[in-house]
Amino acid sequence: MTGPRATTRTLWPWLIGLAGLVVLLVLPLGLARYGLYILSMWAVMTIAAIGLNLTLGYAGQVSLAQGAFVGIGAYAGAIATTNGLPFIAGLALAIVLCFVVGWLLGYPALRVQHHYLAFITLAFSTLAFLVFRNEEWLTKGIYGITDVPRPRIFGLSTDGPLAFYYFCLASLGLVSLATWWLIRSPWGRAFVALRENPVRALSLGVDTRRYTLIAFALGSVLGGIAGALYAPLVEFVDPTPFTLTLSFNLLMMVIVGGSGFFFGPFLGALISVLLPEWLRFAHGYYLMLYAIFVMALLAWSPTGILGIVQKLIADRRTRRASATRAAATATFTAEKSS
Amino acid sequence: MRTLMIASALALGAALASQAFAADTIKLRDVAELSGGGATVGTNFKNGADLAVEEINAKGGILGHKIDLTHADTQSVPGIARAQVQKALDEKPYVLLGPGYSGSVKVVASLAAKAEIPEIIGGEAAELTQMGNPYLFRTSFGQQSTMPKVARYIHDDLKAKTVAVIWVNNDFGKGGRDTILKEFAKLGVKVVADQSTEAGQADFAADVAKMKEAKPDAAFIYLNEEESARILKEIKKQGLKLPLIGETTLVGQKVIDLAGDAAEGAMGHVGLTTDAPVPAIQKFRDAFKAKYNYVPDHNGIKGYLAIYVIKAVTEKMGKIDSKLFAKTLHGMTIKAADEPGILMDVTYDEHGDIDRQGFLVEVKNGKQVVKQILPKLGK
Repeated sequence: MTGPRATTRTLWPWLIGLAGLVVLLVLPLGLARYGLYILSMWAVMTIAAIGLNLTLGYAGQVSLAQGAFVGIGAYAGAIATTNGLPFIAGLALAIVLCFVVGWLLGYPALRVQHHYLAFITLAFSTLAFLVFRNEEWLTKGIYGITDVPRPRIFGLSTDGPLAFYYFCLASLGLVSLATWWLIRSPWGRAFVALRENPVRALSLGVDTRRYTLIAFALGSVLGGIAGALYAPLVEFVDPTPFTLTLSFNLLMMVIVGGSGFFFGPFLGALISVLLPEWLRFAHGYYLMLYAIFVMALLAWSPTGILGIVQKLIADRRTRRASATRAAATATFTAEKSS
Repeated sequence: MRTLMIASALALGAALASQAFAADTIKLRDVAELSGGGATVGTNFKNGADLAVEEINAKGGILGHKIDLTHADTQSVPGIARAQVQKALDEKPYVLLGPGYSGSVKVVASLAAKAEIPEIIGGEAAELTQMGNPYLFRTSFGQQSTMPKVARYIHDDLKAKTVAVIWVNNDFGKGGRDTILKEFAKLGVKVVADQSTEAGQADFAADVAKMKEAKPDAAFIYLNEEESARILKEIKKQGLKLPLIGETTLVGQKVIDLAGDAAEGAMGHVGLTTDAPVPAIQKFRDAFKAKYNYVPDHNGIKGYLAIYVIKAVTEKMGKIDSKLFAKTLHGMTIKAADEPGILMDVTYDEHGDIDRQGFLVEVKNGKQVVKQILPKLGK
């Protein structure tokens, strides 16, 4: 990560963000319901991926449970709103529940790391799926919860596809701003310290234990928020979308986009949600093409798309620096010989 | 002279009109499980539908229009099914086909109804047609019409007083289990074992051992094809001897091929089977096998039938009108004598449920043998 050293460098992300926002605001006006649905799905999945990026990309904790948190959020939202509570209550329930469960899931991360942590979170994913499916009194089991209502925001209905899309986009905007602030706060720096060198972080007085738990809890909360939006988007919740596949997908979004980059999840979700749709012209082969693309991308740049961008920028900077150096040496030798 | 001019103008107009008419294709969109957990279901449905379209287009189409059918994959996930149905509906098709998974059907049915486009589904869960959706039609029996027949057979013919129920825990298996448990309660058959299994489960040793302990008079087995074969083998291995009753998924050709002689004696109610003693179905099976080089399961027949239902209804109406389609199909009987592609006479009721002849079959010498023909309920 580049630090906020030069003003031109910190300005770039804002400009890109602003341009992206304009596109996201204007583009959907010309889209049919299908396009709006896909874009809404992108916004929802981006929120979940931002959460995982916080846990994995910044704090370095490998989690295969993000899909389960999206599920917990979706069920919390769906159960609350189908029982007559307003959307905001469902959202609050999702946030609280995911924070607590995420915090608890963080405890194993205090003892194990990397693959072992991945296994533990994987087991949690499976457990969550079984709860969604088997606890029928609560989740209606395999039949799922139908007719999840879409929220009214300040008296405005979001029933229409365009209104709901803007609602998802606004949520994504709020989540992005909060995350932007967070990773620049002492917390965010503590997360990075945790990832880079936990022992050193501890010796410098960072409470690694507490920050590991916070990283898990906050990442999970974002998964829960995504879930609370997913339920009214699809207007139906059943256990099948929240299997391990979703967790793997979210992990892929973070890694393909560029783990540890602020804009990584945006790009990763774009590829994961939109690319299979664009590739549908290939009929039966579209998932194969998609898989090949992802494999090729990661083989070329293990740090994801933003890794490529960073490499390009770094290359240019090195070249510029060596050019200045060469020029300086030239004048120096010229002066010497004269 | 003047009349001649008018006549020629009219003729020209008519020619142009009919040309424009013929150039229009009938747009059908299929949203199916082509990958993921339901890939077998969706692919069979797709192949069956494609075969029917090929046959109809070769004979000049429906009312002179060629059929344009495309398929979209749901990856067996309701959220993606919704996206694909949304996309299909944005293209304003005449009729929508699929999806096969009941969960996905629940997500999308209201969208098709809002767009006033009829939807022909493969889903069998009982509740689908109870939602009061006037645009939803089945291609096979719902569980609410098959399970009573199976329960009655277990009670009346097998004289079983206790029964073990083994089911796969997805919406298909759970739906069947819930429906038949109600029927058993009505008939006074006691359920001594009620075991849920996982889709894709490989080892049934524990389930069969539990079933053996419960000592039921008969067992009702409601799993997918591959798992059915595995449990049949395990039952034979553990030497358990009792009547085994199921549905299409217990006695299908695929199960018999996989389970070998372990399938001997298994019985089941079958609504649509490629082994039915109906010449039209045998002909369909041969045509399917010639094209795709494998014998389809009932989902293949569903896809095939869906297209021929559309043909029959459209020809009856004499025009292409999505709204009228739904109205016409309610209460309509399509006879195989009039439309051979329909394979067996079928009647649609006001919910979009079907009534058709069914079969009770038993596996003997590696083949399905029809024990009883269950007539249409309406007769």
